[in-house]
Amino acid sequence: MPVRRVARWLAGLSVALAALGVAAPTQAQDKKIKIGVIFDLTGPLAGGGSELQYTGVKIMLDHYAKTGVEGYKVEAVYADAQSKPDIAINEAVRLLEQEKVDMVMGFFSSAQCVPVAARVDQMKKFMWITTCISSGVFDGKNYKYVFRPQAAGNQYGMMTTDFIAQYSLSKFGKEPKDLRVAIIHEDGAYGVDVSKGNEAGAKKAGFNIVLKEGYSATAPDLSALVTKLKRAKPDVIFHTGYNPDITLLFRQAREQGLKFGAIVGHGAGYGVYEKLKEGLGADANYLFNTDPISIWLANQKGMDPKLPPVIKMVGEEFDKLKPGVPIRSAHVGIGAANAYVFLDDVLPRAIKKYGGVDPDALRKAALDTDIPEGGTMLGYGVKFYGEGEQYAGQNARSFPVVLQYIDDKSYVVWPKSQMQRETVLPLPAGTTYSYK
Amino acid sequence: MQSFLDIFDIYLLEAVINGILLGGVLALLALGLNLIFGVIDVTWICYAELVMIGMYGMYYLVQVFHLPYWAAAPLVILLVALLGAALHFFVIAPLLTAPPINQLLATGGVLFILQSFATVAFGIDFRNLGIRLPVLALGEMNFSYARLLSFAAALIGMVCVYLFLTRTFTGTAIRAIAQDRQIMPLMGVDPKRIYLVTSAIGGGLAGLAACLLVLQYDVHPFVGLSFGPITFLICVLGGLGNFIGGFIAAFVFAEIISLGGLFSDLEWGYVLAFAFFIVMMFIRPAGLLARRS
Repeated sequence: MPVRRVARWLAGLSVALAALGVAAPTQAQDKKIKIGVIFDLTGPLAGGGSELQYTGVKIMLDHYAKTGVEGYKVEAVYADAQSKPDIAINEAVRLLEQEKVDMVMGFFSSAQCVPVAARVDQMKKFMWITTCISSGVFDGKNYKYVFRPQAAGNQYGMMTTDFIAQYSLSKFGKEPKDLRVAIIHEDGAYGVDVSKGNEAGAKKAGFNIVLKEGYSATAPDLSALVTKLKRAKPDVIFHTGYNPDITLLFRQAREQGLKFGAIVGHGAGYGVYEKLKEGLGADANYLFNTDPISIWLANQKGMDPKLPPVIKMVGEEFDKLKPGVPIRSAHVGIGAANAYVFLDDVLPRAIKKYGGVDPDALRKAALDTDIPEGGTMLGYGVKFYGEGEQYAGQNARSFPVVLQYIDDKSYVVWPKSQMQRETVLPLPAGTTYSYK
Repeated sequence: MQSFLDIFDIYLLEAVINGILLGGVLALLALGLNLIFGVIDVTWICYAELVMIGMYGMYYLVQVFHLPYWAAAPLVILLVALLGAALHFFVIAPLLTAPPINQLLATGGVLFILQSFATVAFGIDFRNLGIRLPVLALGEMNFSYARLLSFAAALIGMVCVYLFLTRTFTGTAIRAIAQDRQIMPLMGVDPKRIYLVTSAIGGGLAGLAACLLVLQYDVHPFVGLSFGPITFLICVLGGLGNFIGGFIAAFVFAEIISLGGLFSDLEWGYVLAFAFFIVMMFIRPAGLLARRS
């Protein structure tokens, strides 16, 4: 009898333990982080790269929705900013106050980032910017809850001028002081910020700036700008634009006979090669784009070994969503890579070290981030400027690269540490815009 | 003095001619809108969105169904003409006696419906017809054939509309009903039919604009935002319903944009054009060619 009773007790205990064993993870899985994701899915910015960035972030969030993070479920709530700053602000507030998301992520347009960051920080909520680049988001603001692993706009502008300065003599046969450069840009926060970097870089290099001008990305006509460029006769044009203003500029430049040695773009519309190709045909050949490196072009040898399989996964998921795209857009990789930094590095630390996903835990975890160069899919490291610094919240280790589209492929041509091939500079004779 | 004289170069002439060509594009857009307002007394806020639908029509017929451009264009003009007639039948006709603000809001609603429809049906991608017309080179000056075509189409379109309105019975009836909506039914004219015909012609002109604009611009659901407000301003500047006024206003507006943009920042060209509009609204509230009363 006692044996039977002991057996019964043991059986009962086993069932109870099993039940507890099942219940424990269930309870853990009840914990979740709700992430509000905001991109432009309609309006002019959607096709200019925002939808691709959204795709990259979504691929990563879908992946972590399956696996969870440290026992927390990952749930995403998506919102469309409709290419309008006021909608972006309203949606961020709605997600935080009504949908009760724990944080917001994404943001394509700098014109949206600047006001949304101010509002979210004021609400003491956590914001993780994957995409927009304006330095104005952080410059002197000293935000506590806003973080951005992405490179800043002034870095874009200075990277391209540095690139041209290095080749001024060898490729153009001119000292930098004799090189005529024009800086043109859309007049939103993004274009203005990059152009400031261009101007600072051009002055540092000693270029002769023959024209600096902004324009509205929705302007129906850029012919006056093209005429001024013809009059200024620049060797190199530094251009920051969305789309379709980029294709409009090139179309009118061709029609009005504008010639130059090179045109260097800075992300956004220049990052969507298939659209450039569709709009410009063969003239898309030899264009430059400055952006964080495409994750599919990054040198995987110097990279954290856990990253190549993630890059492969992102590529496969993207191919399933958009089959037949000739060049996987860098936009997708940027969105995925910067979302991954949060989900793989910051979030686990917030949960394990700081006990949860509240804004303060996420903030402390973000400030602890210390990823060396090669530790992200975009090649750069991550270390955020801390409180009291001019760019508090901005990644101090990020950098863009200069890419060149050559024969339907994209190559890193600058900086030298990442260079994949010799650049073609200036435009070869016989091409539409070549001044040779 | 020398620096002042330096601005009188070949590029100034190019900017002047480009302004004229841009004026052609804007005049073409204003033509249909003016016709509708002149006759039916309703402003189609969604006019540029009809042009957008026409541009999509051209894209699909040429790029997807591989029709030659010249064969696709009449089909698109017909399609947008039908769309214009449908817009009148379903939206405007029930509101003809409603206050003007209701009519305006209704066509504003159609604007959002068409934008959202295009987003859902065609996606957010920018689409390009892929046709590159040659360039007319005169010394250092180069001009776009696409713009020359628009300019010619605007001129021919205006002459055709003028001849139609003055030399045909339907045209005469359209003009008559524009003058007195109440009296014409007593003289045997069916106003419903006239309105429908006018809307179809207005739509057809939007279709014609679409066929020419698609050679110069990428098409996407929000392309109307680039043209809609400026077209409306031109119609108001010329005097809503006044064809010749609208035609002249388009060129004045385009020249201010072009030359203002050449002498200062491009943005200033638009600032000056809009400032000119505001000043003219004070001086001539009924439009450039309005008679003093």
